[in-house]
Amino acid sequence: MTGLESLYPFLYPSSGGAGSGERVLGEVAASTREKIAEIDRLRRRVADEQAEEIARCARAMAASFAAGGRLVAFGNGGSSTDAQAVAACFTVPASPGPALPAVALTADVAVLTALANDVSFEVVFARPIAAAGRPGDIAFALSTSGGSRNVLAGLAAARRTGMLTVGLAGGGGGAMAEPGTVDHLFVMPSSSVHRIQEAQTTVYQVLGELVRDELRRS
Amino acid sequence: MGELGSTAADAVAAFGRRRAATTALADEAEAVAATCQAMAARFHAGGRLLTFGNGAAAADAAHLAVEFVHPVIVGKRALPALSLVNDPATLTAALAAEGPDETFAAPLRCLAVPADIALGLSPDGECRNVARALGVARARGLLTVALVGGDGGRLAGSGDVDHLVVARSSDPAVVKEIHVTIYHVLWELVHVFLENPDSLTDGAA
Repeated sequence: MTGLESLYPFLYPSSGGAGSGERVLGEVAASTREKIAEIDRLRRRVADEQAEEIARCARAMAASFAAGGRLVAFGNGGSSTDAQAVAACFTVPASPGPALPAVALTADVAVLTALANDVSFEVVFARPIAAAGRPGDIAFALSTSGGSRNVLAGLAAARRTGMLTVGLAGGGGGAMAEPGTVDHLFVMPSSSVHRIQEAQTTVYQVLGELVRDELRRS
Repeated sequence: MGELGSTAADAVAAFGRRRAATTALADEAEAVAATCQAMAARFHAGGRLLTFGNGAAAADAAHLAVEFVHPVIVGKRALPALSLVNDPATLTAALAAEGPDETFAAPLRCLAVPADIALGLSPDGECRNVARALGVARARGLLTVALVGGDGGRLAGSGDVDHLVVARSSDPAVVKEIHVTIYHVLWELVHVFLENPDSLTDGAA
């Protein structure tokens, strides 16, 4: 049995012929429901196991913003778009609370391509952090594997600068889970890149909500 | 921050606010499946996917495009997709020259061909520039897909939308999280139809 057959066995017994569209539609709808149940379970597990650390991280981020800190977010691929959503979630919040200074390093194509072309892709986040980061700023890193070398290099640069470091990872956490890599680590315990990203989206949006609520109260 | 500081109970409550919309998404499973089938038929015929949205949904539009172009599951074929939000030169040019409602419609008029798919994200279903682009797309013969939230807003009753998938929450942050699941599922299950071409036509609306 191929990998595809084991994932979608309904394709194989009698693929083709009349009714194939209706049958696959039904199976795809069932598969959709399974994936929804999977993300619901994953979010509940993350809430059960990581709520304390989420609150601790929100307090540290609120303290940083209150002291004039800025946030920089970074990641690769889909996580690069999440970095932009993280920045937007602080600068133009959808829920009540102050607008807070945040930028996504992935939005600056000029810097990204200059560094990738002139030096290496590994430094695309570390260099802008070394250039503009200040002690007390926040580095917010997203990686589904926890092993992206340029993300880890960005975190290392942030720690050298004296920034608060926050890391979102998945699976077993990868290198990001090694001691001394980040101040606040959130690992989504799933083998699916997609479910990991969905749970990470909740984590960063909840962090945003808690930070804004806290700053509104103080 | 003392007693003003965030607590684990705050975090648990925030996660709890996501549950109803997550489980309600199961009611949209048939709509998701029908959308996958229609999108697969367009890809099969050589169409491309064009995506757009505002704010956090702009990030989702870019995320959606990269899912199709660079699959995370090894062995899945790359499919043509392009986010209309990635180029600030084009976006701001359209904004300055034609106004905010035309930000996506203007580049779409230049880029889209009738075989393509237009997919817009609007957390409240009220984004005028998303509605406008879907209208231009539909008139040109594209398949039109809208991911919305709340009660679907103006896009819910729109004749310009072939396939509507709704995240049942009035909180745009929750809607975004549901949308991420929806487009991950759209990407993954489009391939089920593509890998079984007989399934592309019969049963299709």
